[in-house]
Amino acid sequence: MHIPDGILPLPVTLGGYAASMTICWLCIRAINKREDPRADIPKAALLTAAFFVASLIHIPIPPASVHLVLNGLLGALLGVFAFPAILIGLFLQAVMFGHGGLTTLGVNGVILGLPALAAAGVFHCRSRGVADPPSPRRTTVFGFLAGFTGIAFSVLLFALILLTSLPAHLSAAAERSAILALGLAHVPLAVLEGLLTGLLAGFLLRVHPVILDGV
Amino acid sequence: MIAPSISVSPDSPFVHRWDPRLKLIGLLLLAFTFSFVSNLRVLPVMIALTLTVVAMSRYPLDLLLRRLRYPSLVILGLIIVLPLISGFTPLVEWGGLTVTREGLQAALLVATRFFCIVTLAAVLLGTTPLLRTVKAMQALGLPYVMADMALLVVRYLEVLSADLRRMRIAMRLRGHVEQRRPWRNLRTLAWLTGSLILRGYERSQGVYNAMRLRGYGHAPVRPGEFTATRVDLLALAAVCAAAGLLIWLELTL
Repeated sequence: MHIPDGILPLPVTLGGYAASMTICWLCIRAINKREDPRADIPKAALLTAAFFVASLIHIPIPPASVHLVLNGLLGALLGVFAFPAILIGLFLQAVMFGHGGLTTLGVNGVILGLPALAAAGVFHCRSRGVADPPSPRRTTVFGFLAGFTGIAFSVLLFALILLTSLPAHLSAAAERSAILALGLAHVPLAVLEGLLTGLLAGFLLRVHPVILDGV
Repeated sequence: MIAPSISVSPDSPFVHRWDPRLKLIGLLLLAFTFSFVSNLRVLPVMIALTLTVVAMSRYPLDLLLRRLRYPSLVILGLIIVLPLISGFTPLVEWGGLTVTREGLQAALLVATRFFCIVTLAAVLLGTTPLLRTVKAMQALGLPYVMADMALLVVRYLEVLSADLRRMRIAMRLRGHVEQRRPWRNLRTLAWLTGSLILRGYERSQGVYNAMRLRGYGHAPVRPGEFTATRVDLLALAAVCAAAGLLIWLELTL
């Protein structure tokens, strides 16, 4: 779900940077309002590095294999830190492996970062309307929803931005079918990430529940 | 794991010694100008400009080809599909598939822009150590929250990848076999990822305490780590002129 360099026209890449910078500025403003804004930086950075490394794990889905994206889980655990963390991860991926791109960094930040913030909202709903701490089952279910939301929303944004910005004419019917095909092709990945995020949230609740309170 | 960057010495080519702040500005300026190009007649100038930078940098060709290998696979699919799904003037029809003129032109444009931008990025960023690039971004105004996070992420990527390698070896030694059906492995994968995240989380407490003891958050940021010479500024001016030339050609040709 990384859009590489060279595909998108200039207005879209600049628009992506403007949108990413605005969202990032809002996140950093929220972080700076904390009593000690620096306190959670090492925690967020190390979790980002852990996510970066975990995303290198490949899962075989015959006939190919997919790698984990984990933006839903990143949102659930990092909250407002998730967006800057994703931008940093994308920059490092572009520089170190050539995944994604430099001109498309802003657009890719929106594609993966906005769904991460949405997933954070979904995951934090698990405590709403519950007097006691959320049960393991509730945590697992909301973990699934966060992981699924992260991927499903990202695929939707990716397909919309890519297909409407290609430098060649696509008919409306072809565009609709391509979006549908891309969406359907990613359903197994979204379910897989949802299941994995749910299981992982359940595991973290048993082993170290504080981590689920976010940073 | 971290992509190799070339060591910098006083005898290195100028591209290696160029002030990283100006190098970043120059790279972004050229990359965005390349994104602006949509006239096929401007593409040869863009390619010539990219090759000039590669030649000036004396960046090892095998390293460059290695850096281009993975991104090329990603773009290949789009280049193959584009002439078949877009455009309206048929050029070739074969077995129910129609290759269109507009689709072919779009594929050529996308491929050229992609290779020029990725090559420039590989050469310009590959000739500066990654940590120095992050510090240059901080000097250009990157918020401290992001700069500190980026520096720590780079620092701990190697440590956590080594952790993951060790954990997977330990799993295999205990009899774990990776299945072709992912759902059979899912719980194990979730716990593996969870353990990795926990290691990172627990390590972060120690890292933060150690950083506080060394004055993190109190010591002023070192000013003047980067100084631009007249040659550095002239090089940026040359990049601006090249970008201006491309824009002029795009608008007039």
